[in-house]
Amino acid sequence: MSPPVLSDLGYVLPDGGWGWAVVFGASISIGFAFTFPKAFTIYFKELQAAFSISYSQIAWTTSIMCATTYGGGPISSILVNRYGSRPVVMFGGLLCGVGMISAAFCTSILQLYICVGFITGLGLALNLQPSVIIIGKYFLKRRPIANGLAMAGSPVMLCTLAPLNQFLFDNFGWRGSFLILGAILLNCCVAGALFRPIGAATASAKPQDALKGKITEDATEMSSPKNVPVENKTEEEEGKGCCEKINRYLDFSLFKHRGFLIYLIGNVLMFLGFFAPIVFLAPYAKHTGIDEYSAAFLLSVLAIVDMVARPATGIIANSKWVRPRIQYFFSFAIAFNGACHLLCPLASNYMGLIVYSSFFGLAFGMVCAMLFETLMDLVGAARFTSAVGLVTIAECCTILLGPPIGGTLIDTFGDYKYMFIKCGAVMVLAGTFLFIMNYYNYRMLAKEEKKRKTKEEDPKSVRTENEGRNNWNRDTTQDGPELEPLREEQEGVKMETNGTNEV
Amino acid sequence: MPATFVGRCLGRLLLLLLCVSFSGGSPAGKYPVTTTQDASQSQANSLTKVQVGLNESSGPDLTTQDFKQPSKEHQSNGSFLQFEILLPGPPGTLLERNISLANATTVELSCKLDPDSHLKSPQVTWKRGNETISHTSKTEDSWSIKLVIVDSSKMGSYSCILKGEEEISATFYLHVPKIEAREKPIITYERDTAVMVCKSDSTPMAWTWYMMSGSKPVIINESLWTDKYLISRLSANVTRLRILKLTKEDAGVYWCEAVFELGKSEGKMKLKVLSIMAPLKPFIAIVAEVIILVTTIILYELYSKRKGKCTGEKACDQTEQLKSGESSSASHRKI
Repeated sequence: MSPPVLSDLGYVLPDGGWGWAVVFGASISIGFAFTFPKAFTIYFKELQAAFSISYSQIAWTTSIMCATTYGGGPISSILVNRYGSRPVVMFGGLLCGVGMISAAFCTSILQLYICVGFITGLGLALNLQPSVIIIGKYFLKRRPIANGLAMAGSPVMLCTLAPLNQFLFDNFGWRGSFLILGAILLNCCVAGALFRPIGAATASAKPQDALKGKITEDATEMSSPKNVPVENKTEEEEGKGCCEKINRYLDFSLFKHRGFLIYLIGNVLMFLGFFAPIVFLAPYAKHTGIDEYSAAFLLSVLAIVDMVARPATGIIANSKWVRPRIQYFFSFAIAFNGACHLLCPLASNYMGLIVYSSFFGLAFGMVCAMLFETLMDLVGAARFTSAVGLVTIAECCTILLGPPIGGTLIDTFGDYKYMFIKCGAVMVLAGTFLFIMNYYNYRMLAKEEKKRKTKEEDPKSVRTENEGRNNWNRDTTQDGPELEPLREEQEGVKMETNGTNEV
Repeated sequence: MPATFVGRCLGRLLLLLLCVSFSGGSPAGKYPVTTTQDASQSQANSLTKVQVGLNESSGPDLTTQDFKQPSKEHQSNGSFLQFEILLPGPPGTLLERNISLANATTVELSCKLDPDSHLKSPQVTWKRGNETISHTSKTEDSWSIKLVIVDSSKMGSYSCILKGEEEISATFYLHVPKIEAREKPIITYERDTAVMVCKSDSTPMAWTWYMMSGSKPVIINESLWTDKYLISRLSANVTRLRILKLTKEDAGVYWCEAVFELGKSEGKMKLKVLSIMAPLKPFIAIVAEVIILVTTIILYELYSKRKGKCTGEKACDQTEQLKSGESSSASHRKI
């Protein structure tokens, strides 16, 4: 009987079972984090009148919220590295709730900035990252599907939150709505409760013996203490500087990871043109003479196609043809998105815009579904915790800059087509960049893999291999750890299905 | 861009004033020309450009056939406007025109015969209600009447009726500008502040706020209750009423009235004052639901862990060792 397949996390991932409950909880958390700022815009007009402020002043609220949600990534990562996903998400849910409840009693716009923008934004940040992280801890073989399903929570939540907000506003005014929204956001705590911690000690009992010998000190669930890794840890900690300690909480050594850098640069570029078309789709439709309700219908078409596209992309990405080359699929999705925007100015009538919305929804869903999956694929589940924090804070700037740059283009030229051209060009560029760089990355990984295989055949190097595993958290190894378990899994798949995974 | 636009408007206004003073028609000199109107309006003596999809207030379109859309023309005093409806017009269109006027103007309404149509030399009468008005001018294919409007008595609907093989009529509705006010009820809470805003397309001479007290409308006199009501004019066309320290008695219907030269126009709004208990009930219900769900999930987890401990023969022994580790991890997990 061959030993069970290990991922770099040091235990066997369930790939199902309680994992689906985790996916459901993650979809709720992710849904709130992405859609709450958008759904909040319903209150703008009333708040403008209540506080006698201009539109740009009230729009700062959602900008601060978005900025804190993405900028709070590293804080999330540090807390998850220290305490695990569940406490962080539950605390995040509490923070969101407290933020909105206190916003209900605000008397000035500054208090609103703090309560709605900062506190709620921070709470959403503490929801978003851990939800994405815990999927990587429960799924390996079916991870793209799990990611696709979890990200599908965003359009579903948008479709429910937008009419709900309108209903609350019509019946309770803005103060009552904020109070009730605070309670609704507390449901993130429910999602957090579903995030059962999983780690080497909490995995199934059978492979425990095998695991004990191979457990490394970079076990991600530091909250579940293990006897063996603690011993390893104390050995390793002597003689390590504070850099290593910081790296344990937030892995800055990722900046030397080739795949991570490629992903970072490509994504930062992509987000410059990612959100602006959605923001300006309805105004563009109204500009071409379409009435308000039909313009809103365009966004509904987008959301519905998006809702279907995300799990579908997950399933496609999980297939055996796409999974090993998922980075190419991601670059294709980004380039496809860009191509849609470049062709949008050609849409002259309402039907054309409907077609554009459907393709845009499809492309948007494809990119979002694979957004975190590709990062997990590149850096591995162990370092993903820190990676996601660092990536979101870097993306924060371009996400916030995208719509205002688009708006400036529209105001300068008086025509929406330049904004679409800019977004399309930026995304096609990002897609091409990612495609080329990932091709290079895959080749380098294949070379390193070959080198490692030849080393393994050499018996002298067994000790170095163990040291290599012990130094997994260091920056020396550049390989994508996911490729090896995948290939081994295909050999050992029968062992998996024998149900050694109990949850 | 705005500077040249204003320049063009002023130029056209001067031209108009000159024309009007030569024709000796309208009492232009009697009414002050307000400068704010000049800046925001375009003046036209003849055809003006058709504006589609833009929100500026524009001169009348004389060439497009009209759908039942209120057009927002605002003229300064001493101006002269022409409106035309093409007959019989494209099929399926209502032969109506909504014209909103704020200040004294001279208006010429014409019904023009479509040269492509089959109607030939019909008999045309202009009517206002039941009373017939005589034509001011008549050409081969158009019939017009000129109205000098100085007060609200001349406002209303005017129709031209063509009697030929079939009878076709077109109607012009002259009315004061409509006021934009919130249609849905405004919901506020006790001890909160309510804000009500009314917006008009033209600048009225005065704004007045009323509230319904019992069954009688009562003017809201700001000077009497300075710490309760605050009325401010945010701009020439916008007025705002703020009601401080709300109580349940403040709920009801409020309306703002704009006084124009040619009449009054009002916008109604409904104010609802709720107590804090109203949203508190759903709030407590949702919080209770959250607490119940979280407790259920954690209890289920503890239960399934206890159950899973003794499944499998050798598993039970191993879980003895893990028990100490797990109990401390459980305490870690509890916040």
